[in-house]
Amino acid sequence: MSALDILIILLRVAFGAFVPLSFVAVLVWMERRGAAFFQDRAGPNRCNVYGIRAGGLIQNLADGIKLIFKEDIVPGHIQHKLYFILAPMLVFITALLCFAVIPFADVLVLGDREYVMQAVPMDVGILWFLAVVGFGVYGIILAGWSSHNKYGVLGGLRAAAQVISYEIPMGLSLVSLLAVYGTVDLSAIAQYQGQLLFGFIPAWGFVLQPLGVIIFIVAAFAETNRTPFDLAEGESEIVAGYHVEYSSMKFALFFMGEYVAMFVSSALIVTLYFGSYQIPWLSTETLVAHARPVVILLMIGLPVIAYFFAGWIKKNNRTHYYRADDPRSRETAIYVSLLWSLVVVLEVILLIYLIFAAGGAADRILVLLLQIGSFLIKTFLMCFVYVWVRWTLPRFRYDQLQKIGWEKMLPLALLNIFITGAIIVSFS
Amino acid sequence: MAEMVKLFVNGQEVEVESGKNLIDALKVVGIEIPHFCYHPALGADGNCRMCLVGIEDGRPPIVPACKTPVQAGMKVLLDAEHIKKIQHDVLEFELINHPIDCPVCDQAGECSLQDYYMKYSLDDSRMRVDQVAKAKRMDFGCGVVHDQERCVLCARCVRFTRQITKTGELGIVNRTDAARVTIFPGRPLNNRYALNIVDLCPVGAMTSQDFRFRQRVWFLKKDASICHGCSRGCNIYIDHHREKYKDDIIYRFRPRTNLLVNGYFICDAGRLSYKEENENRQVTSLIEGRQAPFDETIAAIRQKLDQARKPLILISPDCSLEQMWAVRRVSTLYGASLSGFSDAYVKAGDGDDFLINDDKAANRRGLELLGIKTDRKSFIEALQKTDLFVNFNNDLHFSGVDEEIDALLGTVQSIAVCSHQRDVFKTASIILPIASYSEYGGTIINQDYVLQAFAKAVVKNEAGKDMLEVTRLLGGAVIDARHAWPGIRKSVACLADVDPAAIPAEGIKLQTGEDANVGA
Amino acid sequence: MSIKVRVVERKGRTFLEQLYLVEVVKGMTVTLGHFFRNLLDNSRLYVRHYPEVKPEISPRWRGRHRLTRHEDGSVKCVACFMCQTNCPSNCIMIEAGERFDGRSEKMPVKFDIDLLECIYCGYCVEACPMDAIRMDTGIFSVTSNSRESLLIGLEQLMETPGGFSEVDYHKGGG
Repeated sequence: MSALDILIILLRVAFGAFVPLSFVAVLVWMERRGAAFFQDRAGPNRCNVYGIRAGGLIQNLADGIKLIFKEDIVPGHIQHKLYFILAPMLVFITALLCFAVIPFADVLVLGDREYVMQAVPMDVGILWFLAVVGFGVYGIILAGWSSHNKYGVLGGLRAAAQVISYEIPMGLSLVSLLAVYGTVDLSAIAQYQGQLLFGFIPAWGFVLQPLGVIIFIVAAFAETNRTPFDLAEGESEIVAGYHVEYSSMKFALFFMGEYVAMFVSSALIVTLYFGSYQIPWLSTETLVAHARPVVILLMIGLPVIAYFFAGWIKKNNRTHYYRADDPRSRETAIYVSLLWSLVVVLEVILLIYLIFAAGGAADRILVLLLQIGSFLIKTFLMCFVYVWVRWTLPRFRYDQLQKIGWEKMLPLALLNIFITGAIIVSFS
Repeated sequence: MAEMVKLFVNGQEVEVESGKNLIDALKVVGIEIPHFCYHPALGADGNCRMCLVGIEDGRPPIVPACKTPVQAGMKVLLDAEHIKKIQHDVLEFELINHPIDCPVCDQAGECSLQDYYMKYSLDDSRMRVDQVAKAKRMDFGCGVVHDQERCVLCARCVRFTRQITKTGELGIVNRTDAARVTIFPGRPLNNRYALNIVDLCPVGAMTSQDFRFRQRVWFLKKDASICHGCSRGCNIYIDHHREKYKDDIIYRFRPRTNLLVNGYFICDAGRLSYKEENENRQVTSLIEGRQAPFDETIAAIRQKLDQARKPLILISPDCSLEQMWAVRRVSTLYGASLSGFSDAYVKAGDGDDFLINDDKAANRRGLELLGIKTDRKSFIEALQKTDLFVNFNNDLHFSGVDEEIDALLGTVQSIAVCSHQRDVFKTASIILPIASYSEYGGTIINQDYVLQAFAKAVVKNEAGKDMLEVTRLLGGAVIDARHAWPGIRKSVACLADVDPAAIPAEGIKLQTGEDANVGA
Repeated sequence: MSIKVRVVERKGRTFLEQLYLVEVVKGMTVTLGHFFRNLLDNSRLYVRHYPEVKPEISPRWRGRHRLTRHEDGSVKCVACFMCQTNCPSNCIMIEAGERFDGRSEKMPVKFDIDLLECIYCGYCVEACPMDAIRMDTGIFSVTSNSRESLLIGLEQLMETPGGFSEVDYHKGGG
């Protein structure tokens, strides 16, 4: 094993572990500011460090500090303290583990060696995901039961029933998808989606499986306990459901677990149905072959994007009432200068690349970074859909939830398998 | 039992006692006739005209109820239009020069004028001329403050000083709207019952300097009790109130009518003795001057009593009968000698022929009936022999230092179970706080052998325990006041058929023969 | 005479509506419209930037209490305890004393209001025979770092000026 091998492994694992974690902060921020904008409010925008609010991101820092320093209460009536403490860990860790098998870039070829861009290079892929996600709900059930609280138990029960109901259509929709791809390895699935259908349509999952994608997304919402399927913590009926007795960092683990799960299932949806890390019409080989024009396009595109972004910042980052010597205009100036210096740095790096390093391994790494970027942007957008849905749709009633699961989604998923099977058989 | 007669009020037949006037007789059956000047203790004066009632087919047809004795077959009209008009007009007349300063008047809430106005008048004033201004805030002495503007000239106060105290300090001078109650120049009220004037006054003209502005009366909780100021055992109301975030404190004592004991009045000293209940209270348990938890203090006392060779227990003559009984049981339990020595409570020459007694001990008769020795000689003998002196709230310094006893006390170890901080308890090595008489219930016997019961009124934040509870914790068998009675009945002949739960409000006059005093 | 019967058409029974997805997409379009409108120009948010921009308070608003004064600066209150008697949350605690300025016989020596207990019902203002207690300070945010400091006394109640002119107060707002 060479030093390069070890470095790549370290980078992969670090990516798999830290990207979901840092996305938690981004997602919480997106949820709160997003919710506010959906509802014509402003959202948290007061927390600042020396006047820098970072659009409200500093609020997360404050929340984090608060949660860490809050009293960690274990209620006196709890009989199984071990399970009570274990539950939030289980929820969080399983959510994090799911991400391990998701590829975030194409196989990196350096010299004669190939590196699979997954935190854990496993070919069981989707099976791993199903297994671990299914295990995650044990954390919720355990939390509800060990809380020794009627709301907690009800929340846990609801979660259990819901997950059972929705894992079936989810699994069935995957069956038809796997029949199309012919593999369970997520890397292979991602590579498959780099092809073009009829020469001009990217062969992404949602094109191949239009019904399956809807079933899978709905089931994924239910799996992550997000609105409109968040009955397990329905605050209007059962206070907070399974985490009603939790406080401080134990609650924070549930909270973070929910966002990690949301991120991971977004990543999976992207991987399965939205072309994974693929940039449409630009497969890995095309990119490697045409690295120079791509870079030149980037160098032109960056300042344009930065120009509009700076304009947006200037327009919106100001005080909307009279304030002498508005401190937010100073803040804006800082943001804009930071933005432009970032652009300059990137331009210089790209220029150096163009002049000195073009061709060979550097092209490969460039493509790797572009694909990681593409993957993260897609996942981010999918997460936005989660937020968007949450602040648009009301919660289902429990009977509606079960009715949709068993009476609508299950037959549809079976129908989907039948149609897919028929098409595949007729074409082969 | 007085003879009963039947008469008609507003056409309805009622049966009342004969020999009384209409106001008193009808009050018993719940019919109220408004009046200012009449008071059962002072008799009818007939000056206020508020109590005018109609007599159907009578001659004269309108009579003052206070001066009219009940007669069989009388047809009294109270709600006829012309009677209502009389009441209405009398009230309008009284209110012509009344300042209507109810918001700042202490009487508001227990004012006859206010109540009658709300009930019989409710009209705006028709007067368009300035009101006659008179003196306000006049100091009449003895803590009585007079407001001439509020006065309705019922002369209750004047009659009180003439008939009851026979001192006659007050009089009404001038006529018409210049008439006013006043004292003679340079001769203020000077008698020991003067504050009863404040109670007698139907309006806010007489207020007590002591109670003035301290609390509004409608906040006060009024509990019946018995004054422990002397051996008369006057019946009182304890008016107390717990203000938010504060302690339950007593604001005043008022006399409670009991014709068997005190009539309608109490003395000023007794009235002001409520301050004793609020101030200077022992609230913490002390062992050798160190604050100690209650349980630890009790344990320490038990240990001391167990170790003592010949303890002496001294009991206060203010204790209730049940407490005395419980302490007596404890003294036999520990083989202690028991004394009720309380000569200090007697202030010779202080009493008078009305209510005030020489003897300031509330329950000396109880000591006597229970056979607890109170004489000086036996107490001093016991004190000489003892090695542990336990004082149950007996203030030996009540009327000054007794040097002979103090010298003896200095030689023995002493324990004080006391409700107040007093000089005599300061030398005690262990001090245990207990409740005072406003905070427990029990029975006491006054000097005339009238047995009276009183109930717990005040609940303090840092409530001292009842002495009964202390004796129980010291190993005594008496759990509560009721539990003491079988034993008391057995040992005291004249209490043999007394049910403590069924003692009437005016008390029971005990039949004491020569043999009844001996006890067990 | 027959009872008028109006048949209300139940919505949500058509196939498209039963399918949910179409309606879901419709709803999501609406919210997304709001999102982008606000994202692109946040001056269009329907918010008041509260701590800096204070809302306009009507004279009828029941804010923090104050005790009014006579022209010479002496307290109007005569300690009649009407407010304390009327107070449904028992948050007013008065101690009365003698008064010698000739306006009355009685005045408060202590007048405490526990703002944490107060429910701002305004009964004290209604009860006052002297117009001595008012809730017209316009102070609507009663916050502090300690419980003790929210038990305000006579001094503080008298110091606070009214938030409105006498004319506006008696008119009771527009």
